[in-house]
Amino acid sequence: MRVIILTWEFPPRIVGPLAYYVNKLAAELIKKGVGTYVVTYHNSWVGSHQGADGIKAIRVSDVVRPQINILTWMLSLNQEAERVAADIYYSMKHEVNLIDAHDWHFVPAAVTLKRALGIPFVFSVDSIEPHRSRNSGAPLSLSIRSIESLGISEAAKIVVKSQWMRKELQQYYNTPDDMIEIVSPDSNIWMDGILAAYQKSLKVLVS
Amino acid sequence: MLSWEFPPRTVGGISAHLFFLSRELVKLGVDTYIVTCDFPGAPEREVVNGAKVVRVDSYKTPSPDFATWDSLMNVNMQKETAALISSLGGQVGIVHAHDWLVANAAIGLKHVFRIPLVATMHSTEIGRRNGLHTDYERMIHQTENWLVHESWRIICCSHYMSEHVRSAYGFGQDRVTVIPNGVDASVYEKEFDRAEFRKRFALPEEKIVLYVGRLVYEKGVQSLISAIPKVLSRVNAKFVVVGDGGMKEPLMRQVANMRLAQKITFTGFLDEESLRKLYQVADVCVVPSLYEPFGITALEAMAAKTPVVVSNTGGLSEIVEHDKTGTKVYAGNPDSVAWGIARILLDPGYANWIKANAYQKALEIYDWTKIAKETKEFYERVLKEYDDGSWKPT
Repeated sequence: MRVIILTWEFPPRIVGPLAYYVNKLAAELIKKGVGTYVVTYHNSWVGSHQGADGIKAIRVSDVVRPQINILTWMLSLNQEAERVAADIYYSMKHEVNLIDAHDWHFVPAAVTLKRALGIPFVFSVDSIEPHRSRNSGAPLSLSIRSIESLGISEAAKIVVKSQWMRKELQQYYNTPDDMIEIVSPDSNIWMDGILAAYQKSLKVLVS
Repeated sequence: MLSWEFPPRTVGGISAHLFFLSRELVKLGVDTYIVTCDFPGAPEREVVNGAKVVRVDSYKTPSPDFATWDSLMNVNMQKETAALISSLGGQVGIVHAHDWLVANAAIGLKHVFRIPLVATMHSTEIGRRNGLHTDYERMIHQTENWLVHESWRIICCSHYMSEHVRSAYGFGQDRVTVIPNGVDASVYEKEFDRAEFRKRFALPEEKIVLYVGRLVYEKGVQSLISAIPKVLSRVNAKFVVVGDGGMKEPLMRQVANMRLAQKITFTGFLDEESLRKLYQVADVCVVPSLYEPFGITALEAMAAKTPVVVSNTGGLSEIVEHDKTGTKVYAGNPDSVAWGIARILLDPGYANWIKANAYQKALEIYDWTKIAKETKEFYERVLKEYDDGSWKPT
């Protein structure tokens, strides 16, 4: 199996705990024999990099500067993520099985790759906009919610880390129960849970 | 082709451009799809003169500002176009973007399908804003820059724009092809009761001076308003201002202060049919732009056999030769504008000579069939280069 992970933070770019989580996830996937690429962002051009842990990380950078808000910024970076993912896809003779998009930032890229190339995606939810932004009626926040909503409706599976987050997704996004896989990173069957969720996603037909 | 506007959604000039270009491309055997924003009452999918039109959800949740809305609209446009191209088995030769408004979607589609992207740059942020003053404007400028650099080749509608785009984004001449905008003169040939229609706008003894365009600074409408007293001191005329925009209120106040309200009509947006008739009954059409990448309104007037007064700027300078196909005046100079208008209104022999030459030029140079042919050749050249290159997936 070959997976492309999309994440807006990955060491050395650390915004919150997500960077460490994705790093660990990628390293564990490689141990399990999953071909793993991480497509992420860095604020200067650093190109691709393969670490001692075998993780192939490709860092896209700003194509449009300045930006006026996080949305215009992320939405222009999505094209760069698509470019890199497509380059992997074409150089691997179309053998990319799955995209794993972490939080909303690269959801539009995951959706386009799904529609264009027939690659299903997992939407891994670490945090959601209704929690991040208390002033959630603001247009910017509503717009980010709409991207999260798009991710939920287009994903093959949604992976969350806790029962609590599952309830939150149900409350804020009416997410169907059978779409959600709860995989706790603290449990000793963490990777089994991730791989099971990946396998289920592969079976979801891409329309 | 990706565009944020296509009839009936009409904000600027791209809408009409695509309408005619797609119609003629289809006639030349180019299988043409247009993906554009939705519009109340317009179907999600329809065939317009043989071109397949797909209208996508243009994103209606509140967004912070226009540029952010545009980014969100592009998410939908990209998603739907990706599905469309997939449904065609990926058999799409070219993605053609019109202006920065569809840059995100077009660039993403280029990469995921590895289809060559071309862009028509109808205008630039530098030109629209007369420079770059805020991060918002700089962001749009850089988005344009990104689009032209991601594009295989660029189309500009005038030599002026080609020069401007190259200096604004810094690349070589060989990547830009100049293909003019066009006009369909046949739409101005329908018979109607001119005298009766004219009454809607002017008294029989008043000449009609027409302005068509957005009421924004770059279009120079303020020069025309300031020229009115000078014109009226020489000839009795009615000034008809068609279009809307941020300057409408200040201009109306200016007119009231000048005690000239009875000599000017602000029509706002006008339906297509009335506008076509108005072009035909006008005695002169004025295009006083300070910035004009092309100048479609001048061309429309020329096709409607109405003499034009244009400022000596941008694309207008290429469309109009002074004293042959129109009268050129200094941009931003009301005295010069007044001189040009009076010259045409007071000398019928001159006006007739101008309009006959202008009509001929509109037919010969700005014919949509010819433009579509040039566009098709442009596509074929790109496809040949693409086929010969190594980027094409195997």
